[in-house]
Amino acid sequence: MTSISDTPAASSVELERRGLRLGDFLFKGVSLLAAAGSAFLLGLIAWKVLDLAWPAVQHFGLEFLWTEEWNPATDVYGALVFIYGTVLTSVIALALATPLSIAIALFLTEMAPKRLAAPIATMIELLAAIPSVVLGLWGILVFGPWVAEHLEPFIADTLHLGFLPIFSGSPNQVGILPASLILTIMIIPIASAICRELFSRTPRELTDGALALGSTRWEAIRGVMFAYAAPGIVAAVLLGLGRAFGEAIAVTQTIGSANQINISWFATGDTRASRIASQYQGATSQLQASAILYLAAILMIISLVTNVAAQLVVNKFERSRRAL
Amino acid sequence: MKKALALTLATVTLVALAVVAGRAGAAPAASAAPAKASAGSLVGTGATFPFPLISKWIPEVGRAYGIDITYSPTGSGAGIAAITARTVDFGASDAPLSPDQLTACNGCLVIPWALSATSIPYNLPGLNGRLKLTGPVLADIYLGKITNWNDQRIRALNAGRNLPDMKITPVYRSDGSGTTFNFTEYLSAVSKEFRDRVGNNTSVNFPAGVGARGSSGVAGVVDKTQGALTYVDVAYSKANKLQFAQMRNNAGKYALPGLRGIQAALSKLPARVTQLSQLKIVNPPKAAGPLAYPICTFTYVIVPTKSGKAADLRKFVYWSVTQGQKFGPPLLFQPLPKTVQAFAFREIKKIQVT
Repeated sequence: MTSISDTPAASSVELERRGLRLGDFLFKGVSLLAAAGSAFLLGLIAWKVLDLAWPAVQHFGLEFLWTEEWNPATDVYGALVFIYGTVLTSVIALALATPLSIAIALFLTEMAPKRLAAPIATMIELLAAIPSVVLGLWGILVFGPWVAEHLEPFIADTLHLGFLPIFSGSPNQVGILPASLILTIMIIPIASAICRELFSRTPRELTDGALALGSTRWEAIRGVMFAYAAPGIVAAVLLGLGRAFGEAIAVTQTIGSANQINISWFATGDTRASRIASQYQGATSQLQASAILYLAAILMIISLVTNVAAQLVVNKFERSRRAL
Repeated sequence: MKKALALTLATVTLVALAVVAGRAGAAPAASAAPAKASAGSLVGTGATFPFPLISKWIPEVGRAYGIDITYSPTGSGAGIAAITARTVDFGASDAPLSPDQLTACNGCLVIPWALSATSIPYNLPGLNGRLKLTGPVLADIYLGKITNWNDQRIRALNAGRNLPDMKITPVYRSDGSGTTFNFTEYLSAVSKEFRDRVGNNTSVNFPAGVGARGSSGVAGVVDKTQGALTYVDVAYSKANKLQFAQMRNNAGKYALPGLRGIQAALSKLPARVTQLSQLKIVNPPKAAGPLAYPICTFTYVIVPTKSGKAADLRKFVYWSVTQGQKFGPPLLFQPLPKTVQAFAFREIKKIQVT
């Protein structure tokens, strides 16, 4: 009896185990391949960019980073205008988008009635689905002229801020301010979606506890929700920064492609990604193409550094939260 | 977490190193591969400016010779780079190759295959009549030396026109473009200061004005900015009903970039064109006559003298400079004159089988 039933049972268990092993093996293999494949691709792209940028790196050296001139006619290239433009537009965009995104997320999770929150959330997320080239066109034809005719005169004249160098000069429909505002519009959907997710995951009992201890709603939000969500918010902001750094087309269309640094935000500027998008295809000399890829390499390195920095900040927050 | 990050970085570095190491052996095989394709097909890349015309040609050449042509408008620079590396069968460029580029290309022929003009659209609402400009005034506007529409020098050219007291916003292409090459070629020809300070290229460093991407970009900015002016190829201006300026030529007359204006600009080409440098047609001499429009340009196809597909290349380029020309006028490309065609024929004969 035992010997008869024993053999098939053992073999089926054996088979099952083997089957499981095969499944495990396949699963492991596919996941590994996918992960290694994308890492390999990143390596390949990084190498190709550096390889193509090499002639410019050799020709200009690190001086490239603080040379203001970019002149295809004389084959002299420098990245300073674009580094300045990238940092300035990104900082303006983040400074505007961060509080707005947090406010949007708080409204949707804490204040808005459910029936209102869902459609508004969907609409904000749809904003992210607008192709950037379309947003850029809207920037040229609708938003830019509005900025030049209403917003910039309002800042300079009505608010009497025209004495500040950054708000000096005559209004322009393409320039640093319109481009930064377009970037703000592009960052908000991403940042607010992440913030909303973070706030809605804050354990109810924590906020309830704070309220029960007599704190006001704002105190509960500030003391509990923000503390709980802080690392996530930092990550959201840095994701937004990545978006702002890398956005090319919409910026190209609205920033005005300046070849020198202008202090006024009403004037034109340019960013690295924008310059890469606008001039790579038309580059006539090898050196120009190479200089553009040098810009790309800088962009890549800075993005890598930002991401690593983001990771470190998140880790630090994570640790201090656990310590609490 | 830190460990994972370090691991990722290490992987990326390793892969990059491995690829660099592997490249030395793999390179010749990789570059040899694309040149071999099935007979009866040609692959080209380069300038975007002649792309509307080339798109018309592709199905026609397919019908006439059964040659299957693929053309990607990647830009003049990319076209020159691709034909130099021989990864394509032909390249296209709005600017003729510089001596250095020609040497690097190692046996390349540069053949003119299309012809057009650059117009100067502007936005001056309520101006009675068409704006008149000269080359030196235009150069000074783009140099930032003339900044208002009621400047004495503009008023002198436009007697009886109600020019407003309004800031001039010169608008330029932020992307590399054959139109920019043509425009700066003209301004460099008429203004020494422009030539010295800015120069002539597919993208240059304009000291004044704002940049916008593509013909649609500059036209969009001009459309929305009172007092703006820019430069776009005349086909685009006409298709979008932009108001553009009359330019004074060396005969002292104000000309328009129509087909007649382009034709007149060509009338003083030498009877026998023997080299590319003779095909500079901006700022034509006084003898070209009162109709000559001063901002015209050729655009070029670049082919290797030795090609595995010599027969197909010769057929295609020959067809494009002869029968292909009749597709030009609706797109505001002026058909090539006989002398330039003859030059092209002589160059086409130099394409040999490897």
